[in-house]
Amino acid sequence: MTRGDKFLLAALVCFSLLSAGVLWGRFFLPAGETKELQAVVTVRGEVVRSIPLSTDAKSSFVVEGRIGPSTIEVDGGRVRMLEADCAGGICLKQGWIARPGQSVVCIPGEILIRIEGAAPLDAVTR
Amino acid sequence: MNGRAVPIACALALFALGALYWLGPLKPASEYRSDQFLMDTLVSIKVYGDDPENLKAAVHKAYAEMRRISDLADAFPKPGTAEAKASDVCRINAQAGKAPVRVDDDILAMLATAQKYGALSEGAFDVTVGPLMDLWGFGGENPRLPAAGRVKAALALVGSKDLVLNQQDHTAFLRKPGMKIDLGAVAKGYATEKALQVLKDHGIEKALIDAGGNIRVLGRNTRSAPWKIGIKDPRKSDAIVAVLQLEDASAVTSADYYRGFEAGGKRYHHILDPRTGYPAGHHMSVTVVTRDAGLADILSTIFFVLTPEKALELADDMPGVELILISADGRIRHTRELRGKIQVQPGAGYHYDQG
Repeated sequence: MTRGDKFLLAALVCFSLLSAGVLWGRFFLPAGETKELQAVVTVRGEVVRSIPLSTDAKSSFVVEGRIGPSTIEVDGGRVRMLEADCAGGICLKQGWIARPGQSVVCIPGEILIRIEGAAPLDAVTR
Repeated sequence: MNGRAVPIACALALFALGALYWLGPLKPASEYRSDQFLMDTLVSIKVYGDDPENLKAAVHKAYAEMRRISDLADAFPKPGTAEAKASDVCRINAQAGKAPVRVDDDILAMLATAQKYGALSEGAFDVTVGPLMDLWGFGGENPRLPAAGRVKAALALVGSKDLVLNQQDHTAFLRKPGMKIDLGAVAKGYATEKALQVLKDHGIEKALIDAGGNIRVLGRNTRSAPWKIGIKDPRKSDAIVAVLQLEDASAVTSADYYRGFEAGGKRYHHILDPRTGYPAGHHMSVTVVTRDAGLADILSTIFFVLTPEKALELADDMPGVELILISADGRIRHTRELRGKIQVQPGAGYHYDQG
């Protein structure tokens, strides 16, 4: 192998790696995958809060839903509805969520907590 | 240095750049997502495209279209609204046994489709199930077990043969006083399909609408692969029993785990068999896959009410309609055409019957 061949080989290897990287970025990284996980809270369709779900994050806060205040708790990379005024309490029974694509929904209060990030599924029919 | 190396490297570089340029547009530049509460559920819309302003405008028009359908189809007059402002469905119900009512073409279309498939199902589905739904209280906060005599009386007021639609005059008429339209198994799917049409009219080619678990997808997902849609495990929260791979299709599920109540140690859910007046008991859940979300919504209710054997037989007879069902005994079955588009992952308590 001449010096020229080696140079060509090295150039090709570098170029292939670069192309592979670019292609990977374009095709296989869904929007948001590079970001860290975060819980997004919406009330009546408006985003009212985004909380990064790092493992040491610990907090609770109140959001004003359609029928009254609800308390949301964040603890060690997971989030849940802690207190709510609705009659059914379905949102409370949904418990903790921690994985991308999971959500807690309060229909009477029109409150949604969802975890943003690359989820293995695009949606779930139920 | 080898004299050929430079030209070859240049040619390869150009080729690769050209390929990247060509492949680039496959992944759209922007995503727009919105979550709105309407039709008594959460409706999430995600769209992808190159023009963020267009995406946003399209999604908001799609929601407006769903709200319009919802307002026409709502069976409960909003407190404080005058009779004249009540929904088309309220007006048809109020005029039952009296006079035909002029209604919006979308209401006529929903009623005509419902009537057609009701006949096809030999009564397993009926859009005039309103008196039974009222009796059980499934529209309200406190559903309850009604007395057998009252179920029988309500059954006498259920029957689409007494729903008269006139396409020329744009009217609908219920022949007997006390009859009532219930578009609960129709309107959400119909509105979802209309919303998707709005997105398409804005040039959108990649979208997902999740209307409370009724799914409609367009194009392929952000990985340029078919959308991966899970089917909820009917007995375990946060688990799935199967994954569907879908392109330009709907997946709608009817199941026994919603809006139920317990009485005398027995659980009752909200999907009533209009032939008996009682909740249908053959399935835990059924999922219909077909292109039109409106049809999927109606068919999921029909298949839920029919026995597994009849449901699979009927689905096989309908081109472009696929069915996955989990019967009350835990058996998971699906139509043959779904092979290759479904991965069943049965958990404990289920038995996957590949047929």
